[in-house]
Amino acid sequence: MTAAILTHELRKTFPGQRRLLRRTGPAGPPAVDGLSLKIPAGSVTGLLGLNGAGKTTTIKMLATLLRPSSGTATVDGLDVVADSREVRRRINLIAGGERMVYARLTGRENLWYFGQLYDVPRAVLRRRIDDLLALVGLVDAADTLVERYSRGMRQRLSIARGLINEPSYLLLDEPTLGLDAPIARDLRAVVADLARGGVGVLLTSHYLAEVEQLCRHVYVIDRGALVAEGSPAALTAGTRLPYAVELTLAVAAPDAADAVDALAARAGAEVRHDADDEGRPRVTVRHPDDLAGEVTTAVVRAGGAIVRVEVTPPTLEDAILSMAAR
Amino acid sequence: MTAALRVFAAEGRKQHRRIFGSPLVVFSMLVWPVLTLAATYYTMLPVIESPGAAQRWPLVAEPHRLAAFLAAGALAYTFFFSLVQSAWHFSFERISGTLEALFLTPANRMALVVANGSGALVQNAWLFGVFAIAAAVATGTLHVAHPGMYAVAVVALLVPAVAWGAFLNSLLMFSRDSAFLYTLLDDPLWFVAGVRLPLFALPLWIKAIGLAFPLTTSLVVLRGALLDGLGVRDLAGELAFLLGLSSGLFALTAVLLRVGERHAQRTGSLQLF
Repeated sequence: MTAAILTHELRKTFPGQRRLLRRTGPAGPPAVDGLSLKIPAGSVTGLLGLNGAGKTTTIKMLATLLRPSSGTATVDGLDVVADSREVRRRINLIAGGERMVYARLTGRENLWYFGQLYDVPRAVLRRRIDDLLALVGLVDAADTLVERYSRGMRQRLSIARGLINEPSYLLLDEPTLGLDAPIARDLRAVVADLARGGVGVLLTSHYLAEVEQLCRHVYVIDRGALVAEGSPAALTAGTRLPYAVELTLAVAAPDAADAVDALAARAGAEVRHDADDEGRPRVTVRHPDDLAGEVTTAVVRAGGAIVRVEVTPPTLEDAILSMAAR
Repeated sequence: MTAALRVFAAEGRKQHRRIFGSPLVVFSMLVWPVLTLAATYYTMLPVIESPGAAQRWPLVAEPHRLAAFLAAGALAYTFFFSLVQSAWHFSFERISGTLEALFLTPANRMALVVANGSGALVQNAWLFGVFAIAAAVATGTLHVAHPGMYAVAVVALLVPAVAWGAFLNSLLMFSRDSAFLYTLLDDPLWFVAGVRLPLFALPLWIKAIGLAFPLTTSLVVLRGALLDGLGVRDLAGELAFLLGLSSGLFALTAVLLRVGERHAQRTGSLQLF
């Protein structure tokens, strides 16, 4: 048996709305349409797509909160429908938006409450609560009512709640939504640590830099169906989006400009000449391959004096937007 | 079993902190018994003082026993209505977003709803219970066949109340429209269960409806055991009926939880509010 979450041809269609004394309305289009995924233990897997792509529906099916209309999903070989109770012991879900905690309980009381529901051994629970409060930076606010917490603090408590049962798999649905940059960075470090420790993580996030940083493998879905998968680097390369090579020259050099134009024409690259804020000549070359070396060489050979070179590779965000635009 | 007990402890503490722990609520619990009894007494006063009332209802001629009759009704009603309130509070878990967090856990759903009901019962009704017992002892209105009947009365009140609470919780866990509970179960519960009036004074069809509510039979047992000196044999029919009704409610709760959770998983309704 593979230690992983596996889905095969997973589908979810929500039934039509029921109306009083009238027939049930027609079912909508599938929210998830034949997804086959693998979320292995010990790594972070990304699930990307624009709003309404089916990310949250997929995560909720894996969390046993929704029942698939067809297809299967298993967690370490346990079916999410037939073995839901055992699956719940092994997984947890952290969603953005600071819900899922009780406002009139303190942070510590919230964690204790959920620890009880997960039947975490008493001797372990107290220590784990302290560890989690330290992990999310809420030690000083542990005994303060959650209603007095800021949005970010609530979200951090939600994260601690999601770790209270020491899950083998963690489903993260926009976990850094609303978090300050330093806290979001700390959370990313925690997620990376958890994965190194053997936890399988499925991450959805609108912050694609976060996905790029954490995920070894990414699935891209659109209208519930898989449109691409691979490592962030492979996905980005696969879209053949351009690298931007930007050279700033000390003074105008017509021969250097001509050399860059000739190079761009040969390579089929897009080229633009303008000036930077200080009025120095600047040339930008865009091409799916990184032409920094060739452009720099051409300018120097033509007698140009380069004061600055900047290479901007295509990002995962560019790749996702490009896929969505197709 | 240990896991279920931990769910009980967790729910009890959560409810205490969320609902019953504030000084204002404790103050209202002090005032509530007095207000309830006063309202009951003055509602009944025109009936009691009407000519010929004692012929139709002999208890009217004995003010102490009448007060005990009304107090027992108010006490039992408090127990049962506290569970209506608890179910109503439970429905707010959906709005606060914690209902999904509960269903994400492996906690036994039946344990959850029973724990929620029991927690509300203990925290909502203990003060009224103490008040009623103290009043009954002080006024010498208790008339009990043997000490074991105290236990019979407590069990006949608590077990059906918990079953009722679990049933209501299971209903409201999956319904977003909790207002119907108050419409259906506030004044009508007073009326059909014989809280203020003896059952014989009610029309047959109302008595038939009242039988569906465990409060009705719990109240018959409570009054019979504590005020009329009846023994287990005298109340055997009512006790058997209560046992059947409570078992039925627990079974129905189990089915509703199963069906409701499956429905929520199919429609995604746990997150809707």
